[in-house]
Amino acid sequence: MSKEASGLEAAGTHDLEVVRNHIREGRFQRSLSLLTAVTSIVSGLEVAYEHYRGSYSRRVMYTPVILSVLLAVAGFAGFFSKRAARTVLRWVAFVTLVDAGVGFYFHVRGIYRKPGGWRLPMTNMIMGPPVFAPLLFGTSAYLGLIASYLQREESLHADPDANEDSWLTRLLPSAAGRELISEEQDIREGKFQQQVAIVAGVSALLSGFEAYYSHYKNNFRYKAQWSPVAIAPILAGVSFASTKNRRWAATALPVISAVAAADAAVGFYYHARGVLRRPGGRKHLLYNIMYGPPIFAPLLFGAAGMLGGLASLLRRRNR
Amino acid sequence: MKEPLLGAFEEHNKRKHMVGPLQQIHAPMRRFRDYEEVDYVIVGVGSAGGVLVQRLARAGFNVVGIEAGPFWDTEHDWVSDEVGSHDLYWTEPRVTGGSDPLALGANNCGKGVGGGSVHWAAFTPRLHPSDFEVYTRDGVGADWPIDYADIMPYYEQLELEMPVAGPAYYPWGHPHGYAYGPHPMGGVGNALIKGCTALDIPVSIGGPVAILSGSHGDRPHCIYRGFCIQGCKVGAKASTLVTHVPDAVKTGAEIRDRSMVSRIEVGKNGRVTGVHYFDIEGNAHFQKAKAVIVSGYAIETPRLLMHSACAGHEHGLANSSGTLGRYLMAQAGNVVMGRFDQPVRMYKAPPAHALTEQFYETNAKNDFARGFAIQTVGPLPVAFGKQMIAAKKAWGWGLRREMMDYNHWATFGLLGEILPWNDNRVTLSDDKDRFGLRVAHVSFNLHENDKNLIKAAKKKTEDVMWAAGAEQVVQEARYAHLVGGCRMGKDARTSVVDKFGRTHDVANLFVCDGSVFPTQGSANPGLTIQALAARTADYLIEQGAAIFNSNKRDMATPRLRRELAPPATWGKGVPRLK
Repeated sequence: MSKEASGLEAAGTHDLEVVRNHIREGRFQRSLSLLTAVTSIVSGLEVAYEHYRGSYSRRVMYTPVILSVLLAVAGFAGFFSKRAARTVLRWVAFVTLVDAGVGFYFHVRGIYRKPGGWRLPMTNMIMGPPVFAPLLFGTSAYLGLIASYLQREESLHADPDANEDSWLTRLLPSAAGRELISEEQDIREGKFQQQVAIVAGVSALLSGFEAYYSHYKNNFRYKAQWSPVAIAPILAGVSFASTKNRRWAATALPVISAVAAADAAVGFYYHARGVLRRPGGRKHLLYNIMYGPPIFAPLLFGAAGMLGGLASLLRRRNR
Repeated sequence: MKEPLLGAFEEHNKRKHMVGPLQQIHAPMRRFRDYEEVDYVIVGVGSAGGVLVQRLARAGFNVVGIEAGPFWDTEHDWVSDEVGSHDLYWTEPRVTGGSDPLALGANNCGKGVGGGSVHWAAFTPRLHPSDFEVYTRDGVGADWPIDYADIMPYYEQLELEMPVAGPAYYPWGHPHGYAYGPHPMGGVGNALIKGCTALDIPVSIGGPVAILSGSHGDRPHCIYRGFCIQGCKVGAKASTLVTHVPDAVKTGAEIRDRSMVSRIEVGKNGRVTGVHYFDIEGNAHFQKAKAVIVSGYAIETPRLLMHSACAGHEHGLANSSGTLGRYLMAQAGNVVMGRFDQPVRMYKAPPAHALTEQFYETNAKNDFARGFAIQTVGPLPVAFGKQMIAAKKAWGWGLRREMMDYNHWATFGLLGEILPWNDNRVTLSDDKDRFGLRVAHVSFNLHENDKNLIKAAKKKTEDVMWAAGAEQVVQEARYAHLVGGCRMGKDARTSVVDKFGRTHDVANLFVCDGSVFPTQGSANPGLTIQALAARTADYLIEQGAAIFNSNKRDMATPRLRRELAPPATWGKGVPRLK
């Protein structure tokens, strides 16, 4: 190996080290804002055509599409401006998260309204609105919300203008207020591994279940369709274990997260291929994206893996 | 049986009148006495009648819709079964004749509230701009007294009210998009896409069809179980029974069901004064009305007007032109069946879910004027068996073998325009029905243009089926839809009604249904019938009391009254691109 190449490699490792440290210390607001914007575009596209399938038959069905556009804009703004990250991004992310909850309610209700309702859960979950999809849609909002509390990559010192939500803490009982402030502080310092691990675990369970029943629709015709169903509970288990155990978080969590992300990439390839293989293929591309395998759904599964990976890089709370 | 998860399913509550699993008819319904002079009596509450009743009631008129069939409680009266749904058709006696007699008593005429829209497949393509000037362009058929621009706002409006699912961009005729998203494909749709794609023919996927692809208020979305033309118990398929009649009842209209109108009474001043009808027990009644609208469809409307012949109208009411009952049209509806190696399972989708109108317009290369469409058809086993008998002469054990093979067959239907001919007509036969009324005689003959068109359309449809990968292709000759018989026109000497459906002869007598079509295009007529009904309703509302007390004919185009649509029509659906 030449001297130059090893130098480059060293530089590469150095960069990786910098990123690691940034994440450890909660100094990744810019990159997480950007990631929020990108995931928001993907989940916005997903919800746009899924709701197109449902014909936008309720006004509320427009909201996630509009909000994901706003969130993407806010994410990009947060990439460029600290101020935007702390204000616009935070509020848009919060509203989007609430909208995800509202969507979850309407999807549960949608299944309830189908013939037989929740008495025929499997049939109606398959035929009705995808029950957990709104919560998965909330993933990018969660990322945006976290991003809004982080420090910028370039910031060297802890921020003087911390505790921005002090007005909120004043509204709460003092114990809860103190808890909120310390949570904020922890996020700012990158000490929120447990929280992200829980979110990663929940997200893995939800998207694993979505994968299960939507692949069930296709009778698990390809063996690969079992892979997200198999990986999801492991990822969830490891994520939950990581909240209790530092070692799990440092060893098993990054491994299984990487496996989940790789599986998502493979899934994305197969879904795209599935779309092109439908009758009419490229000629009716939009229609085939709409009714073919949901092309972005594997990426939502990958988001759970990404969250797991993020969790493994963060620090834990001191207490 | 295993108990369902959260306890037993609900029993049907007999005190509630349900249309679909969630939607209830408002009770109690308003009732008028026979001696009360209502504003409008509408004879026949079907596709057109349902829309008219709703619009007029919402505008504040006193309206009675008199319907020969029952006011369906879908949870109680309907079954998801081919044979059990036969009651949805008009099965009263009729006589058919001519050189190419039509099959009657099947799904080309409905009975009961909702009429034909209860058992239509709900294909809702619009007519093309060229359809309104067939005579000007091709020298055959007739021109409409209106043009496409007159009816377009009503197409857009009704597509929202039903609402119609379809692609966001529909390329044929006047290009447009649809309010609801397209449906997923069944096996037949996939075959049509494959065949058309192989031959480089554009194809519209997932519509236009008036079946919900997303829920709509109290109507759940389609669950793709295939019983569309058996009366959709889900309530996802639009029929005026579920789209317009519930709102009509709520806003004060009366639907008088199981009442057969026998005659329209004409007063001394030459205006109609009401209708005679028989109730379910055969008792005769007379309902007084300030104006009468006949919406009985292409056979019963001319029949009723002929029954109402009186002094001054010896050849039938409003028949001074002699065209009443003439220019009856059906569309060529040959069914082309293809057998595939892989199962198709054509019951697992609405029959109507993909089509091409690439051959719709007149083409100078053809030896015929006008054109045809190719559509998906998904017969259920009984209909399939009948087609196999006709197409393959299958019988006995051979028929059984064919029917066991049901899952491997796909069917396309062609929809070819048959021109209006003077000798295709409805007359009264000497046979009588159970009320002692003379039944209709329907005479139907194909002419050369029609025969050439059918031949070419059949060939093209078979080509598409082969291109889709079929290993065997057979076909059955058939006709679909019935329109004409009371056509609209500018000239009172050659038509029965004017462009708003008002008869040329009687100022307070209207006809509003498929019978007013001068030509039919190769689009399914349902949407156009409802759009014309909404237009007539707007005209009547605009004219107000002038209809009731004057013989003056104001031909000004009325304003489109969107505010009279059933509530919850607005503010949702796919944003219209065009």
